[in-house]
Amino acid sequence: MALSKKEVTQMTKEFKIVWLPIVFILLGLTQPIMMYYMPVILQSMGGVEGIMIDPTMAKPNGSEVLASTLNSQFDQLGIIILAVATMGIIQGEKANGMMAFILTRPVSISSYLNSKIIVHYILAVFCIALGYGMSYGYTSYLFTTVPVMQGLLALALYCVWLLFVITFVAMMSTFFNSSAFIALVSIVVLFICRFIAGLHPFLDVVNPASNSLHATIVLMSGDMKAWYGIHIAVTMLLVIWMIATMHHFIAKKKF
Amino acid sequence: MSIHVRLEINNITKRFKHKTAVNSFSMVVDANECVGLMGPNGAGKSTLIQIIADILYADEGEILLDGQQISTMKHQIGYLPQYPNFFSWMTAFETLSFMGTLSGLSKNELQDEIPLLLEKVGLEKEAHFQVGTFSGGMKQRLGIAQALLHKPALMIMDEPVSALDPIGRREVLNLLKEIKKETTILLSTHILSDAEEICERFVVIQNGHKIEDATKDQLLERHQESAIYVEIRQEDFKWATMVEQLSYVQKVENERNGFKIHVLHLEEDAQRLLQYALDSNVMLLKFEMGIQESLEEIFLELVV
Repeated sequence: MALSKKEVTQMTKEFKIVWLPIVFILLGLTQPIMMYYMPVILQSMGGVEGIMIDPTMAKPNGSEVLASTLNSQFDQLGIIILAVATMGIIQGEKANGMMAFILTRPVSISSYLNSKIIVHYILAVFCIALGYGMSYGYTSYLFTTVPVMQGLLALALYCVWLLFVITFVAMMSTFFNSSAFIALVSIVVLFICRFIAGLHPFLDVVNPASNSLHATIVLMSGDMKAWYGIHIAVTMLLVIWMIATMHHFIAKKKF
Repeated sequence: MSIHVRLEINNITKRFKHKTAVNSFSMVVDANECVGLMGPNGAGKSTLIQIIADILYADEGEILLDGQQISTMKHQIGYLPQYPNFFSWMTAFETLSFMGTLSGLSKNELQDEIPLLLEKVGLEKEAHFQVGTFSGGMKQRLGIAQALLHKPALMIMDEPVSALDPIGRREVLNLLKEIKKETTILLSTHILSDAEEICERFVVIQNGHKIEDATKDQLLERHQESAIYVEIRQEDFKWATMVEQLSYVQKVENERNGFKIHVLHLEEDAQRLLQYALDSNVMLLKFEMGIQESLEEIFLELVV
């Protein structure tokens, strides 16, 4: 509890609690606004010549716009930003000896790890929700309204993927000592996960990024398949396994 | 008042890739003792201290505090790292309150204890300054404060005074003398005079091996030379050359203003020498039995 409180205070002092939500609000806004003004932009750039704009495609409906907010903004720039914002989560305290120092107190390694992951996850969910909310608002205003339940369900599915993202970066942060390397490895692995999502049904079961894909499917079609639950369960198991690995790493090798 | 506990270190071995930092090291620190762990740089002091503090993992052996595995006794241990690092954005008060909460102290206890403790370590004026603005000595004192906060039975300190200037050292040493009355202390240092001032017992470690474990008196006694130091008047100096011819005298050396006379059996030969001096009508200005080396010299002898 004290550790979580310290994390929150630290985030406040580092202004992470301010800039991260702002970045995600901007990211959320970008997609609907860009898609709305796309024809105007194309025209003003003089690029329409030779390009056929399908009149039926000119105005996508709201759920498509919202879905593309998730998969082209949050899943690309969003992941990079999250990875960079979270890369020092454990590495920083490992480097300056604070982690070892804290662990000389009667504090269990799991409560140390959990406090870090939970606080960062809550912040990430808060940021994503804000950005998503913004995107939702603008989408409804500029395009068509997406049913609220559908929107929330998609967000919930997306947050499962988000939990994997944060835990994975935390794990890299535990293993490696160079923050640039942590960010790089995290971004590359997470992107690969995201790109191979939807390729093969079996692969999707173990691929946490399929939750993000499901979120967009739910947005587009509105139906929730029963086997989504299995994917969520598998992702949760992966997260637990990663936390156990970090625990083992810190306990045995002690960094 | 804290309860005193006994620390047992049994056959600890720690290997790193290229060297064995600590090699089957064993010792027992009794309750209420103050033990100085000494050795040159790179001897394995810090490694051993970190194993005791449960930061490093020992390859072999175990450490028991009061018969329990040390990892389950963390609330009884106060640890001061070599370079105490704190969150620079916290104030001294916040740091102590954070560390105290981790040790399971209640808010009320902390509110009462922290100001007293800060006063004890001389940081009461800086209680609400950010740690980032602190000097090395202040950080060290804050480090001691955090190690004392939960009233541990055992304090483990890694080079508590080595990085400080003379004034800071004095402050910390005085503080440690105060603490010693209530707590078992194990500290590592490569500066002998510091250890000499607070500790009664010294353990010397070199290349991971324990090479000496004795109290100050034992150490001095053990390294006492069987020699007699005499000072005589200038005009009697040729008496010294006569002494050299005596059967029981092995060697005579010029030292300081007098002579160092090496003998075989200190006590009886001293008697004989004294008698001889009287017989030859020599005025003895000084007569000292069993020349003691300083701890510094003993230490150098051990590790070099």
